[in-house]
Amino acid sequence: MADVILFFGTNADTMIATKTLKDAGVTAKMIPKPANVSTTSNLCLSIDSGVESQAKTALAGAGVALGGVVK
Amino acid sequence: MRMSLRVRLLGTIIGAIVLFFIISVIAARLVLQRDLVDLGKTEVTNSGGAFGGYWDSRKDQIRLLVAQDALSDALRKAVQSNNVSALQDQLSNIARTSGLSFLTIVDENGNVVARANGPERGSLKGNPLIARALTGETVSTAALLDPAFLSGEGLAPQAQSDIKNSDGKVVEHVDKGLALVAAAPISDANERTIGAIYGGILMNHYYDLVDQATRALGGASALLDGNAIVASTIQQPDGTRAVDVLVPNASDVIKSGQAYTGPDTQGGTVYLVRVDPISDDQNTVIGARWYGIPMSRIDDIINHTTLTVLIWGFIAMVLALVLAIPIVQNVSNTLAERSHQVRDAAKELGVIIVGAEVSGDHVAATKAAVEKSGNVIAAVAGGDTNRIGELKSLNDELQSDMIVIDTLSQEMGNRMKQAVDRVEQLNEVAGGLNQLVTGESA
Repeated sequence: MADVILFFGTNADTMIATKTLKDAGVTAKMIPKPANVSTTSNLCLSIDSGVESQAKTALAGAGVALGGVVK
Repeated sequence: MRMSLRVRLLGTIIGAIVLFFIISVIAARLVLQRDLVDLGKTEVTNSGGAFGGYWDSRKDQIRLLVAQDALSDALRKAVQSNNVSALQDQLSNIARTSGLSFLTIVDENGNVVARANGPERGSLKGNPLIARALTGETVSTAALLDPAFLSGEGLAPQAQSDIKNSDGKVVEHVDKGLALVAAAPISDANERTIGAIYGGILMNHYYDLVDQATRALGGASALLDGNAIVASTIQQPDGTRAVDVLVPNASDVIKSGQAYTGPDTQGGTVYLVRVDPISDDQNTVIGARWYGIPMSRIDDIINHTTLTVLIWGFIAMVLALVLAIPIVQNVSNTLAERSHQVRDAAKELGVIIVGAEVSGDHVAATKAAVEKSGNVIAAVAGGDTNRIGELKSLNDELQSDMIVIDTLSQEMGNRMKQAVDRVEQLNEVAGGLNQLVTGESA
């Protein structure tokens, strides 16, 4: 399946999101921000599109604000 | 429901003040009740003694009147000449002007010569006071006058009455009369006893003495024939005097001869009373003096004091709250501010901890990618040129990982500097809290 990119407002949020997804059992890889993503954070997360909804649920549950999703 | 610190502190202050005043009011009421009743007992005991003074004074007055009359030349001459008509007129005038209920002269044998109250004759030979007077002794005492004597003096209607209990039922009939009496010998020029004069005041339905005592002492006073009130200033609800009613507490006084001090209800009013026994010349208790003050006077003082304590307590509580609210507000605001500082610091430090973990994970993943890349390079070097594409892909991934590691490194560097600031801030918070709690600078 294709990867989905999750991006956040800050690098700190990206780190917290990484930890949150790890705790929720969702595999996420931290990558540099792609050129087509507009955010102040330099980092993004890449996840498998099959676990997107699980990831969003985990992030919402932990109170981590998701800046956007690029598919 | 969880309450804020502000609500808890104010609730504690209000609760403490309310508890303090409830206990204070209860204690004040109990102490006042006991002390005022004790004070009231002392007052009625003293006033009862003063009432006894009026009683004794009236007895002495009668004794003096009768003794003076016994020395009257006019009376002596009338007795010697047996001028009954003149004697009756004189006795009547003396009794009327002196306020005596009766005044009677007997001859040396105890036979009635003349009475102030009418022409009735008869013999008073069996009267122990007259017998003593005929021996030359002047006597005065309280006495119970028997119905026959009262009838002879025309005083029976004044003495007779039906005695009722508190329910209004007639429980006994009184026909004897409580009186203050005196007897004195009448002597001729040779000091030979030629007769005796006997006079006194019947106290049944006679209000002069109780009125005099009440005017001077306040409260209410009464005279008891046995255990029945025969004269009093006790007011009933309809404004009339409470007379011809039973005083149950007086029964023990009559039997034991011991005074009673305590509560008694008369005319629908509860009194704190002193009941002193009245004895005749033979020390037989024949009646009692009742003096009382309404218990409502004591209750009024207690209620007034309680109300005063409550009003001032309420004012004190309002003042305490006016003073306490800004202090509680200040403490709450300080704690809220410190709490925000701690929370912010914790959040910051939490990010650093998470960042450290995430960075570690990423470095580990990069390390695995490097090892994998090394294996592919070895394979390509061994002639497996088919894996060159894979090698390129791994290299791209490693470049991306290095950018991430570099970014994370910078991020964590900045975060560590902030962490140092946060630690200083936490120390300052700890010092502020310590000062708030202990009042001492850290």
